[in-house]
Amino acid sequence: MTKTLPLAKSNPHPLEPFIQKLLGAEALLPDSETNVLEVVGILKSYGVVLDAYSKNLIYIADHQFLVLFPFFKYFNGRVTLPQLLRHWWHDRINFEYAEYCMKTMLWHGGGKMDEYLDSDDFLRHCQAAVAAKIKTNLPIRVLDSLFPDFLPEQVRQLAYYSALGQFWRVMSDLFIDLSDAYDGVRVQTIPEVVAFIKAGLVAAAANPIAYAVEIDGTSYELLPKSAGLTFLMDVAVPYVEAVFFRGTPFLGTVSYNAQANQISVDQGRFDYGALYADPLPVGGAGIPPTLLMQDMRHYLPDYLTAFYQSSGRGLDDVRVKICQSFQKSMFCVTSASLQGLLPHPADTQDPRERATNHAFLAGWMDRLATSRLDVVQL
Amino acid sequence: MLSALILIPLVAALVLILWPGKLEAQTAKLVSGLSLALTLVLVALLATRFDLATPGFQFEELLPWVEPLGLSYRLGLDGLSLPLLVVNSLLSLVAIYISAPTLHRTRLYYVLLLVINSAVAGAFLAANLLLFFIFYELELIPLYLLIAIWGGSRRGYAATKFLIYTALSGVLILGAFLGLVWLSGNTSFDYDSGLAAALPLAQQSTLLVALLVGFGIKVPLFPFHTWLPDAHVEASTPVSVLLAGVLLKLGTYGVVRFGLGLLPDAWMALAPWMATWAVISVLYGSLAAIAQTDMKKMVAYSSIGHMGYVLLAAAASTPVSIVATVFQMISHGLISALLFLLVGVVYKTTGTRDLTVLRGLLNPERGLPFVGSMMILGVMASAGIPGMVGFISEFLVFRGSFLIFPVQTLLCMVGSGLTAVYFLLLVNRAFFGRLAIAPPTAAPQLDIELPSVTWRDRAPALGLAVLIIAFGLQPNWLARWSEHTTLALHQPYQGFVQARTRFVPTALPAVADTRLVSPSLALPTPVFPVAAPSAEISLP
Repeated sequence: MTKTLPLAKSNPHPLEPFIQKLLGAEALLPDSETNVLEVVGILKSYGVVLDAYSKNLIYIADHQFLVLFPFFKYFNGRVTLPQLLRHWWHDRINFEYAEYCMKTMLWHGGGKMDEYLDSDDFLRHCQAAVAAKIKTNLPIRVLDSLFPDFLPEQVRQLAYYSALGQFWRVMSDLFIDLSDAYDGVRVQTIPEVVAFIKAGLVAAAANPIAYAVEIDGTSYELLPKSAGLTFLMDVAVPYVEAVFFRGTPFLGTVSYNAQANQISVDQGRFDYGALYADPLPVGGAGIPPTLLMQDMRHYLPDYLTAFYQSSGRGLDDVRVKICQSFQKSMFCVTSASLQGLLPHPADTQDPRERATNHAFLAGWMDRLATSRLDVVQL
Repeated sequence: MLSALILIPLVAALVLILWPGKLEAQTAKLVSGLSLALTLVLVALLATRFDLATPGFQFEELLPWVEPLGLSYRLGLDGLSLPLLVVNSLLSLVAIYISAPTLHRTRLYYVLLLVINSAVAGAFLAANLLLFFIFYELELIPLYLLIAIWGGSRRGYAATKFLIYTALSGVLILGAFLGLVWLSGNTSFDYDSGLAAALPLAQQSTLLVALLVGFGIKVPLFPFHTWLPDAHVEASTPVSVLLAGVLLKLGTYGVVRFGLGLLPDAWMALAPWMATWAVISVLYGSLAAIAQTDMKKMVAYSSIGHMGYVLLAAAASTPVSIVATVFQMISHGLISALLFLLVGVVYKTTGTRDLTVLRGLLNPERGLPFVGSMMILGVMASAGIPGMVGFISEFLVFRGSFLIFPVQTLLCMVGSGLTAVYFLLLVNRAFFGRLAIAPPTAAPQLDIELPSVTWRDRAPALGLAVLIIAFGLQPNWLARWSEHTTLALHQPYQGFVQARTRFVPTALPAVADTRLVSPSLALPTPVFPVAAPSAEISLP
């Protein structure tokens, strides 16, 4: 009999405990009473805000089609003096944040929708709609002649307006339902929260993403159902990639100097998304989440307000606290997304499928190594 | 009535000493605050009755005291002392207000603050040289104790250093006063008697050097300044506010009142040297401030630089520059008090003043946005940004001194530019960037839980900021009180100014043009009788 040396154990992934958590249907966020309270409470207010964002994005896509100076795009077609005054007084929903997310998706691209928007099929649909729209508009026709790529790019952006609006429509309802389930004591733990979100995502996974615009009584398809774009893979995943992981560097009190290589030239290595963001600069001009936090603070459930009141600076730094809770909730959504995207069922017993699942999650964990995953564990 | 300004704080101190049982900090603060508020009201009442057209002492009080020694209890108020009295009462009130709610040896703390206020008021009001000296010395021990008992970790060293320096200052001043009386053959130490002294230049010069060094230590001027940064760093915030805002002014007040006022021949002879000394102090103070990483030390060194402007303006002794000395004293009093106040709030909130550690404090949610805004206002005022009192005072200093000492004035203007540099460093390092008080090598994602600054803490800074802007926008509100007194101080130097004027504009500002007063608040008579261009003014 020949003695052999024991096989050296391969080095475990530095974030192996989190991989095991996800494989075990747990979340990246620890389960605790306060974490549940924060996550559900913040998602409730996020749901309310997303409802408004969603309606506005869809309104812009449908009714501000190739309006190059859309002065009243945030009014959803109802422009009155009191609304204008409220807008100027800034007592309003900050739709600019929704556009920030849309532009982040457009910029980073990714997924089948991005591919479709570069296809000849899209260009054909697009040109038909553009031609109908500018038929009687001489200045824009001149513009289109001089810069033939300009209007199609505008239409691509409008397609993202619509797609993000449709995505947030589903997420808004999902988060409100989650809040109702929490209020009805049907959801009480973080794993249950993750399971609820995952179920919602999976249920909507195959929903078609389509976009058509009506011009002079005729409907022009821009994202036709025949393109086969679906909710989960073609919008949700690129959204998570663009907004949660990549984002854009802040333009405010925390700015980055691209010339000094403080921003990676490799877009794939961008790490400025919601999962990496430092909540402390929230409140400063140019910090993207500030507007979202500003909006959410109006719709906080009472129990969450009371919770915030009891710590730190009370409600003086409520936006930072909202941002921290929001970040926790985004780790829950990320958990649900990753579990929903696992190549094989999480509880599979097939060693090869388990290895594939592990490798899939290890890839994501590599990217989360520099995120605030360690901070939300506290 | 003037005696009341000295007695009220002393009576309040006596009340605190005799207070039966345990004295709560709040009670001590209330009693002290009320007494100082009363003195402030009293000064305001005096100001309403103050005759702007009278250059000499008003509301005089004279009581014979130790007549064989020439010591009388003679008080008087003029345009030089009135603004400084207001600042004394105001900043003492601020110091009481910002004192920590819980203190060990509460009774002693407030008694010492009250005694300092009383002594400083007495020094500004004294119209007798010995009486001034008594009050000048009276504030030393309370200040020594305030640093030694309630100071930082090296309080013993700082307090002792302060005491040694200022005691030496007192010895020199007393020697100069005694020499002035002995050499002039006077029997009285009354200010007016000293004024009449006509001594040979050599004797005057000796006395003036003693006075300049004596008061130069207090100001402080290079190289007698080393006690100041230590004292500031170790002193608590209220004491720093008083020290920078009021107590340093005893030095500049002494230079102007006794040096400029009593020894004109020596003053004219030594003026170029004084202007050069001012330049050295300004540049040294500014460069030293740039090198600091402790916020408080930076502000302390800035004081050395800014006090140098007073010496430059006094040395020039033109009508405008003498007004500038008063303006610069008040301006520096308000601005430095604001800056030290804010540094105190930063220290209380973050636990550090280290500019290599602090950053991002302007963060609107978790940082100190109000403190940051006020700090930016304060440093802008200190750097002479228009619209604030610092600009007016520096403009007057440079405007008044340039004709006499153009080179020194230009060099001092470089110091003004350096002020912007070091304060920009301060603001940039501490207030901009990502919020963190931990060094960069610490936890990379440290969440900072800074306690918020309440409106109670913000109120005094806001009050000082209002005054800084108000006097910056309407300088006449301040200048009108001093114009006639400073004009009288200038009288002996008219010939000197004319003789030394290097650059005469083609149209030398007429009297009315040089006035600070706005048309609406213009005084009925011309204030600055600067001679119109004449054949007597020699061009270089």
